[in-house]
Amino acid sequence: MSLLPVVLAANAVDTFVQTFFRGAALGSLYALLALSFVLVFKASQTVNFAEGAMALAGTWFLSMVFVDWDIPGRWLGGPTWIHWCLAVVLAAGMTAVIGLVVERVAIRPLIGQPHFSMAMVTLGIEVVITIVAVDAVHLTPRVLAVPWGADTFKIGGAFVAWSYLAAMVMAGAAFLGTWRFFKTRAGVAMRATAFDQEAALAQGINVGRVFAIAWGLGAALAALSGIFASMAPWGPAGVVSRDGAFFVFRALPAVVLGGLDSVVGALVGGLIIGFAEVFAGQYLADHASLLGYGYQQVVPYVVMLIGLLIRPYGIFGTKEVRRV
Amino acid sequence: MRGRPNLYTSYEAETQLFPTTTKKVLLGVGLLVLVLMPFDLWVVDQIPVVRFLGDSIWLRLVNKMLIFIIGALGLHLLSGLAGQLSLGHSFFGGVGACTAVLVGGKASTNLWGWGMPMWVWLPAAGVVAALIGVAIAPTAVRVRGLYLGIVTLGLVFIGLHLSRVFPEIAGPGDLGRKWPRLELRFWKEEDPFLDFSRDGHWFWFDVSKHQKTYFFLLLLVILMAWWAVNLGRTRTGRALAAIRDRDIAAEIMGVPEFRYKTTAFALSSFYAGISGALFASFVGQVPPEQWSLRASVTFLAALLIGGMGRVSGVFMGSFFVVMSHRFVEEIVDWAKHQAEGEGLFSSVFDFFISRGSGDGGLISVAQTALGYPLPASALDEIIYGALIVIFLLFEPLGMYGIWIKVRNYWKGWPFSY
Amino acid sequence: MKRMTRVLALLLTFTMVAAACGSDDDGGADAAPATTAAPATTAAPATTAAPATTAAPATTAAPTVFDYGVTDDTIRVGAIADLSGRFAGLTTHIVDAQTVYWDMVNRNGGIDGKQVEFVVLDNAYDTATHLERYEVMRDTGGSGVVILSNSTGSPHTAAISEMVAEDNLATIPLSWYSAWADDDYGSHVFETGTNYCYEGMNGVEYMNDNLVDGEAKLAVISFPGEYGQDGAVGAKIAAEALGIEVVYDGEAAVIPGADQTPVITGLVDSGANMVWLTTSPGLTAEIMGGAAAQGFEAVWSGNSPSYSYVLLATELAPYLEANFLQSTYNLTWGSSAGPGMVQMEAEMLAARPDSAISDAYVIGWLEGMATHQILEQAARNKDMTRAGVVAAANQVSVDYGGLTPNQSWSGSPGENVVRSSVLFSLDLSIYTPEATVATGGSTGSVLLEEAYMGSVAAAHEYDGACFSAS
Repeated sequence: MSLLPVVLAANAVDTFVQTFFRGAALGSLYALLALSFVLVFKASQTVNFAEGAMALAGTWFLSMVFVDWDIPGRWLGGPTWIHWCLAVVLAAGMTAVIGLVVERVAIRPLIGQPHFSMAMVTLGIEVVITIVAVDAVHLTPRVLAVPWGADTFKIGGAFVAWSYLAAMVMAGAAFLGTWRFFKTRAGVAMRATAFDQEAALAQGINVGRVFAIAWGLGAALAALSGIFASMAPWGPAGVVSRDGAFFVFRALPAVVLGGLDSVVGALVGGLIIGFAEVFAGQYLADHASLLGYGYQQVVPYVVMLIGLLIRPYGIFGTKEVRRV
Repeated sequence: MRGRPNLYTSYEAETQLFPTTTKKVLLGVGLLVLVLMPFDLWVVDQIPVVRFLGDSIWLRLVNKMLIFIIGALGLHLLSGLAGQLSLGHSFFGGVGACTAVLVGGKASTNLWGWGMPMWVWLPAAGVVAALIGVAIAPTAVRVRGLYLGIVTLGLVFIGLHLSRVFPEIAGPGDLGRKWPRLELRFWKEEDPFLDFSRDGHWFWFDVSKHQKTYFFLLLLVILMAWWAVNLGRTRTGRALAAIRDRDIAAEIMGVPEFRYKTTAFALSSFYAGISGALFASFVGQVPPEQWSLRASVTFLAALLIGGMGRVSGVFMGSFFVVMSHRFVEEIVDWAKHQAEGEGLFSSVFDFFISRGSGDGGLISVAQTALGYPLPASALDEIIYGALIVIFLLFEPLGMYGIWIKVRNYWKGWPFSY
Repeated sequence: MKRMTRVLALLLTFTMVAAACGSDDDGGADAAPATTAAPATTAAPATTAAPATTAAPATTAAPTVFDYGVTDDTIRVGAIADLSGRFAGLTTHIVDAQTVYWDMVNRNGGIDGKQVEFVVLDNAYDTATHLERYEVMRDTGGSGVVILSNSTGSPHTAAISEMVAEDNLATIPLSWYSAWADDDYGSHVFETGTNYCYEGMNGVEYMNDNLVDGEAKLAVISFPGEYGQDGAVGAKIAAEALGIEVVYDGEAAVIPGADQTPVITGLVDSGANMVWLTTSPGLTAEIMGGAAAQGFEAVWSGNSPSYSYVLLATELAPYLEANFLQSTYNLTWGSSAGPGMVQMEAEMLAARPDSAISDAYVIGWLEGMATHQILEQAARNKDMTRAGVVAAANQVSVDYGGLTPNQSWSGSPGENVVRSSVLFSLDLSIYTPEATVATGGSTGSVLLEEAYMGSVAAAHEYDGACFSAS
């Protein structure tokens, strides 16, 4: 056990850069989750509370696929990190199957019921998936074998973890993909369904398929965010754990702030909440005894409440037209 | 003509709570059974479920259920009657509990408490929770549907944070502090004249503390439920139902939305506050983390499982939510005995039950560690989650809906199809 | 009609529930129903040995007296454990090891010729549930037990503490809160090993003496509450006694489920060179990961529950290996070759060959040993009533076979409180994440000090909990 010299961020600029990357990375994860919530909400007008369980399942699948079975790696050559990325895609795909099953079995029969019956069903599903997954996790540590581990690089005097960068890239790719997807035939169908379900049905759009796509994509995104939230600078540090599932509830203010049915809102809301949480944590840390420890946990909700007082349907949310 | 069911000759007759003689008799018998339940009587022992609910081991659980019912009645007023989704119900329970301990608790160097008797702290818990409900109503009325759900979810986290800012009231995290006992004093005198938290002697009976608490809570639940049912039949109740069904239409017809939603929040918080104060006092020491999202969800689950918008649904749902874990355990235990026995189906049970590492099966009774086969403790969680899903999928009206169907089946028998 | 079938099916289920609960009820009118709500009871297997002749020698005329939880041929030992809550991953292993322990005791003839029936109930880490389970344990009919060998959690154990004293039920808590040795609890609650507070003192002193070069600057980081603040207060007591500057005081600053930026910032900016944590493994990883990502280097240590060998599977493993001092209340799996360890490993190998190795097994084994020796003492005293068991616990000296220093609960709290903790360094090269009991392996801990008692802990005058609510 050696004692290395303490290296600190040298000045205020470095501290700011460091904090900025932390905030941007956390915001990206929130945005990713918010996007997943938004897709599901656009299709079926409900909030999927089982997202946390799906995130947990996703990390578990990645560990199974990549570490236990070495799936793409046993057939492919080339560098490991490519195998890992393919395994992530595969794990997200497997989670999407869970999403599809949940949608077909538990959500579609509830079309026409009050929206919060659906929300409650997802809570029930959350309990079931979590218990099954936690039992599967067991006590043997299941590693994710992230290629860049806990490594960092430096910008000037500021330390930035590779995971932060990866989370941002991932979120960027997801939003770009969604944007592209909305230009496709299926994407247009989804937008039409979100706009008016009956009218879409009358136009010959297969609404059931739109539901399936939304839930599948939602589950896949939840898996991705679960995997990225389980990497080194964040809690579980590269193993499958239940903490990754709890992370999901932290993203809810971001969804509401941006608007439950807006993709742009998901991005903006996620980033605002991520930055707010991290910057408040960094620059108000000296006043923690006054504000009470853990104040940063309340910051997202305070920001959300202020946002909702100004715009009750979120920044980019569509105002519901209410008919008598 | 008189005495025929579904024939009402006046409005008063139709809005009666118990319109028929049968209902009145059933109510009387039901109340009698509930009162006699905790005693070891031969008659009571013949009724299948009641026979063991009255047992000293189960009575504590029954008491917890009664406290839960009060809280669920509150959510019923807000969500069932007024149609406002709330995930922050446990926050108001926490407010009630903290008020109770501030008003009734004992002070020490690091803790605040004014040591007042229960007839002060219990109403105070409800009133303070109701006032806070009124205070947040202006924000809550602005948002609707799932937005409201997530805003109220924020309350839970804000409440947890406040408990950490004021550990002098709520006690330190993960530990809590001692709550005042369930006991009645005139003022701060030494001996309470009615103590629900110790075994004692009433008239010529020995009564345990659980039996005492049971009667106290039963009385309270009957009063609160009666109030909740009646509320649904008043001007306020009709206004709330109108807002639930179509808020704009209600407003056009002259129902002030803001005022009635605020009323709904205040009433619901009042019930939650009372329930929270009673719960904390009943347990004796609760950590602030008790008032979590999970507790809120449990209230909502009780409403949905029992049947939304019905007071009888609240009762059935609460029974299910509080008791289901224990029932599953009992069934697993029973299945284990069956598998070990020589009964007709023992091999069937043996198929499902695993009794060691070599024995196949779904449920493990041999070891308690996580993993497969699943231990019984994990199984009851899964069944609880699955039952929520199954109820909502197949019976949206909840247990109340099942009851209606069963009743109609027998009403129409033998022409029921 | 289809709907009707469903209704009937559900009705059938409810009838089954009623039948299940009803059919167990046998016996007389005033006997408590024998509905043992036990998800995992170890049924006493029929022994092949004939203990009756050997265990009850004719020389002693007076028969052993007993009241609740003990019959002529069985002793009921209870555990209220967290099988489905926050700490289920740990507690299930603890309970599992104890199950194996009692199977071994029963195979060897039981206690005083009686077979032990181990009754485990789940509290889901919820205080109200804990109290409900306690109602079963204290029962004076057939469901009650004679001793509680595991009561998981501090608030939970505190909530039953008054009733435990009323019912004369000896209780071993699964929590190392410094209040348990106090007279308020000490007569009925018997803590195994040292407590969070003394562990904090020892950890800080050892780091200061052996691991830090130059002037020590301490950072204390903890959860709020009885666990976190008890450990943090202990660390600060040591810092004050040894003249160590506390450059960052994060007592109660770690809130689970929140972003940990303020703590990490405070820690990194303070320039501390030693850190004492009282958190959970997940939060340790998050804070350590966050600080390391900003280039922070220091000697880290923390209360036993802050660390788990699972962390050695994470990306932080190299950092942990270089900088972490592990502190515990007892030896970890396979870290010594003492008689207690050898016996445990052999028994676990026979009973649970396919389970993953776990440090938690040792804790369960210790609870079993303590309970076993208390009951043996009660049997020697010819008094296995609940009061007799409490008296036996207050006079017995428990031999842990080297798993942790031997312990006695007699004498004043200041005399009997355990002040020494066990210290380890970490070695990745011996760590075997995939190991099962059958394959053998290590959880990566290398023993430094088997019973380290620093000068501060040794001199500290015990007068109740280091941290308490009031």
